[in-house]
Amino acid sequence: MDQLPNLGREHEMLSIMGLNSIEDLFSNIPEEVRRRNPLPLPAPQSEEEIWRDAQHLLGSNIDLDSRPSFLSAGLSRNFVPTMVGMLATRGEFLTSYTPYQAEVSQGMLQAMWEFQTMISELVNLPISNVSMYDASTSAAEAITCAIRVHNKKAVQKDTIYVSELVPPHRMSVIENYVQGSGINVQLLKHDGNGHLDIDAASIANGSCAVYVEQPNSFGILDEGLMELKGKIGVNTALIVGVDAVSLGLVSPPGNWGADIVVGEGQPFGIGPTFGGPIYGIFACTEKYIRQMPGRIVGQTQDTNKKKAFTLTLSTREQHIRRHRATSNICSNETLIALMGAMHMSLLGPDGITLLAKRVAASTEATKKALISIEGVELLFPHSSNFREFVIKVPGDSEKAVSFMDSEGVIAGLPLGLWWTSHSSCILIGCDERTSSSDISSLVSVVKKWIEEVVK
Amino acid sequence: MSDIFSFNGAQNAGWAQPEPILPDSEVLAIIPSSMLRASPPAWPRASEPELVRHYTWLSRRNFGIDTGFYPLGSCTMKHNPRVNERIVNLPGIDRMHPLQPEHQIQGILSIFYEMQEMLAICSGMDQVTLQPVAGAQGEFTAMRCIQEFHRERGDGHRNKVIVPDSAHGTNPASASMCGYEIIEIPSGEDGRIDLDALQSVVGDDTAAMMITNPSTLGVFEPDIARASEIVHSAGGQMYYDGANFNAIIGKTDPGLMGFDAVHYNLHKTFSQPHGGGGPGSGPIGVKKHLSKYLPSPLASRREITEHDGEGVGDGYWYSWISPENTIGKVQQWHGNAGAVVRCWAFYRRYGRELERMSEHAVLNANYLRFKIMNPDKEVLSKVHAMPSDGAPTDFVMHEFTLSMIDMKDKVGVTGKDIAKRLLDYGVMAPTLYFPMIVPECLMIEPTETESKEVLDKFADDFLNVLTEDPEIIKGAPYTTDVSRVDEVWAARNLILRHPGNNSESN
Repeated sequence: MDQLPNLGREHEMLSIMGLNSIEDLFSNIPEEVRRRNPLPLPAPQSEEEIWRDAQHLLGSNIDLDSRPSFLSAGLSRNFVPTMVGMLATRGEFLTSYTPYQAEVSQGMLQAMWEFQTMISELVNLPISNVSMYDASTSAAEAITCAIRVHNKKAVQKDTIYVSELVPPHRMSVIENYVQGSGINVQLLKHDGNGHLDIDAASIANGSCAVYVEQPNSFGILDEGLMELKGKIGVNTALIVGVDAVSLGLVSPPGNWGADIVVGEGQPFGIGPTFGGPIYGIFACTEKYIRQMPGRIVGQTQDTNKKKAFTLTLSTREQHIRRHRATSNICSNETLIALMGAMHMSLLGPDGITLLAKRVAASTEATKKALISIEGVELLFPHSSNFREFVIKVPGDSEKAVSFMDSEGVIAGLPLGLWWTSHSSCILIGCDERTSSSDISSLVSVVKKWIEEVVK
Repeated sequence: MSDIFSFNGAQNAGWAQPEPILPDSEVLAIIPSSMLRASPPAWPRASEPELVRHYTWLSRRNFGIDTGFYPLGSCTMKHNPRVNERIVNLPGIDRMHPLQPEHQIQGILSIFYEMQEMLAICSGMDQVTLQPVAGAQGEFTAMRCIQEFHRERGDGHRNKVIVPDSAHGTNPASASMCGYEIIEIPSGEDGRIDLDALQSVVGDDTAAMMITNPSTLGVFEPDIARASEIVHSAGGQMYYDGANFNAIIGKTDPGLMGFDAVHYNLHKTFSQPHGGGGPGSGPIGVKKHLSKYLPSPLASRREITEHDGEGVGDGYWYSWISPENTIGKVQQWHGNAGAVVRCWAFYRRYGRELERMSEHAVLNANYLRFKIMNPDKEVLSKVHAMPSDGAPTDFVMHEFTLSMIDMKDKVGVTGKDIAKRLLDYGVMAPTLYFPMIVPECLMIEPTETESKEVLDKFADDFLNVLTEDPEIIKGAPYTTDVSRVDEVWAARNLILRHPGNNSESN
């Protein structure tokens, strides 16, 4: 209630209007739809009481930093530079809205234009928007964008191909987004090494789009994907989902024929934050620019020919094009993208390389340590991995992870939760903060589980 | 001009990080050599001191609610309490993974559950999901649920969604993404829903009607219950766009009006900061017959037993459940949890007094409208032309629309010119040219968090603009960081990124 500056002044304001009661202002609401009883909610609280309750409730959660954790599955247990939160919560950024009035929004517009540049550099494609909701909605809207561009000329009309290893939550988002256009979603097979069956992928030639991930959901870096564009042809969009951090070491998809690159931006800018707010990256070639979703900032000039920035290509958007818009997206994740840009600017070219090396090193070190345990195997022993890899354990992985949890280690994701065929597998996630001591803890609880439960 | 790409701070070192836990030779051996990146992205090299200056400089070239009055209609730019920002920095939200086991997330699950319940109570719905991350995604999610509802009943042929011509652009865009054909019905001359027009378009092919109430003109639709009856008797579903929910909490609710589904813009009504365009949060609520289609999972609870863990001390054990015929996922995790937590902290500040919040939003809007529309004689004599109401009404709800058509006809000053001139007075411009059915429209929403003094000053300034030399108004703004920007130039030239480090910066 301390948020209402006119509390206690209602009658003063009403009398100026010649009114007696606030209820007069609601007189256009017919009796038949009026609410009769007060809201059955608790009494108002002060800031102090809210903080106390928040500390109690959120304090009862067990956070990832409180113990060794190997749960990633597409989110990063990152370290965000302190300045990011401090600068992004400056009121002028935090409390602004979409920069429709460019003359008083040059700060956010320039920051987003710089963000677009950083994403463009990262994936090596010329165009980036200012963010989607997350990696999954980026992927889904990349597919619908590609359909609009390619369907006319497509030999396989209304058809797209998606890697069978796309995780189920992302597949579900994609299905929800494409079902309305009557799109036929086909799956692309993988071989025994977890690599895309590149020869069989030629089947997608002539369709609207192919969506693959590099690394895939098992963390596998697939060299063969670099030949994929040649197999599917120029009239089929190659859409690649990336681990953004991996691009500090790994060749960006723009170098090997990707038409659209999407991915999770979260590792740059914000903690895992229970899955949101995070932000999706969306970058593409010029061919897709008039069909792409999301806000875009362009450089321009003011009436004095002074350099300025403004939102551009708005005629794609819902507030102008309505039901013919390229997407319904309006609110997006700008502030989180801003935090990402700050993080990227601090890292710089050397920092992103080092960060990627740290993740790769943690992944490799964890992998080596785990396969030294008798009874633990890699699901794909001959793969190169970044951030994630899959182990097979002698027993039910959900029970194994639960046992290790009770020993104080978050051991990863029991893969049976995603695919019942993988109920003895664990998706182990590493990051730049994985330490040698975390790895030792994981190894010892895996050994303990095998000794005490399995044997 | 500060250019982040011109910095050379801490060259070849950058922001210090710990070393990898394996030596370089081993790390590089992991990745097939053909896959190695030849050169790193040409990112800025900002040292911390340079970074702070750059973004502080940028922030000073940006207008937020903290800077001044922000009467951007339809966007509900209210003050954002700062304890909310402090709360989301707690590790119990910032350092949490959405796939952690239930016993590790009892606190956040209890907040999710409380928010689901609170939103259901305020809207007269039966079940709420917090997964959609923006209002538009909420619309899309609800239309997907309605689509599955019809399909399961053998009504899959219902392929048309009705929207008024005053609807937000997201309504038709969201329904269209589900594959629906859009039927736009004209508003009546008073800007309100035309029941005859509605009656003439409903039929066996009607899937749903999407409408917001109060309407985008800021007036309550008195015939809303009748509209619901018309759509329902044709077999369609009623969808409530919750963009204007700030006006009605505790006074009426979408359930009472006959709606089957609703989205909430938590970033508007419950003050998640808008952050230059996001993040938002767009939960939806539905009546019982739609709840089994909601996205998965939902927060649920039962009485705690001795086999459970500690819990949060309220006697319940919280868990995730999946609705029976769920449409699956619309966001990959559980929505914008950080926004949900902020909005929980916001709602706790009002509790059962949320009704006061809506009362003050409506009081402020009516007061501001009264002050603008009833200037004293001296001012009135100087004004070139007075604005007219976007819709004829005695009272408005939380926002109102003004047509500046008489200014345009009389002195050639457009709504846009007036909006730009207002920037020189140190305020944000109102929403411009929406809804499209009002000529030269300005849409003004003061919110409940502005004082009488701010409203008085804005009314004075607004009227003063209408007295100014038309040529002055048309050339505005003058005091901003840049003068009026050329949007056409931007669209023609499409310079969408920085040219790179070697270019000349200015």
